[in-house]
Amino acid sequence: MSRIMALKEKYPPGDFGVWIIIYVELLTFGLFFVGYAFSRRDNIEMFNTSQLMLNQTSGFINTFILITSSYFVAKGVHIMRKMTQENYEKSNKEASKWLKFAMACGVAFLFIKFSEFYHIFGQGITLSTNKFFMFYLLLTMFHFMHVFLGTIILFNIHQRTKVAGYTPADYRGFESGASYWHMVDLLWIVLFPLIYIIR
Amino acid sequence: MKKILELIWIILVVLTVFAYLLGYLKLISTSLVAVLLLSTFIKGALVSDYFMGLKDVSIKYRMIPLLWLTVVLSLIAAAYYL
Repeated sequence: MSRIMALKEKYPPGDFGVWIIIYVELLTFGLFFVGYAFSRRDNIEMFNTSQLMLNQTSGFINTFILITSSYFVAKGVHIMRKMTQENYEKSNKEASKWLKFAMACGVAFLFIKFSEFYHIFGQGITLSTNKFFMFYLLLTMFHFMHVFLGTIILFNIHQRTKVAGYTPADYRGFESGASYWHMVDLLWIVLFPLIYIIR
Repeated sequence: MKKILELIWIILVVLTVFAYLLGYLKLISTSLVAVLLLSTFIKGALVSDYFMGLKDVSIKYRMIPLLWLTVVLSLIAAAYYL
């Protein structure tokens, strides 16, 4: 037991500042999720009818994409943690490869979500159509912006790995960006069943 | 467990396929909503513990996302069932 305690890190990976952002984001989205669930109680039929207009398959594909991208980023962090002074250039190169896959997933998510928005807006649906679509559009567009920002963060980390900018003594920036990306994944993991599946 | 990240990814994909099939095949029922929320908790906990790496940090930081998941999913369940 004492050995396990000794192996535990005191603080979460990355800069503490990014964790403050993560906690605030979790709280904000959490309030929206609960707000959606309780608003649904007032008009279950309207929520269920509106939900049928969503494409569950694209929601599923996007969930798969984000989970997979999170796995790619976790592989990159794993490489960073194993990095030594002797192999740090090779480690940066390897991590760069995983980040490329993760960024491709981010772009794919944005493309699919943009297509979904295009389809929804094409049907004349707006924020004021009804309460379901108000929540749907607010939550998914807010999340879309987070994926967009997360992809830019991954791109910046990737640029630094290309010049072997991370060393065994300094890879906190990598961990911070990775933690932000996992948060984006975590939010979608709750959003997908809540908005697309539960009825 | 050398391939722990791969195992976590497989579990996440299986649980996601399960959720999708419930919706796609219109199998979602009152009792299955609880199962779906439980599977969502498991997915969130796996991402938090293994992908974010919080299983290796002080318990108070590890508990924050887990508490968030518990509170949010419990309130969603309350809104659905009560």
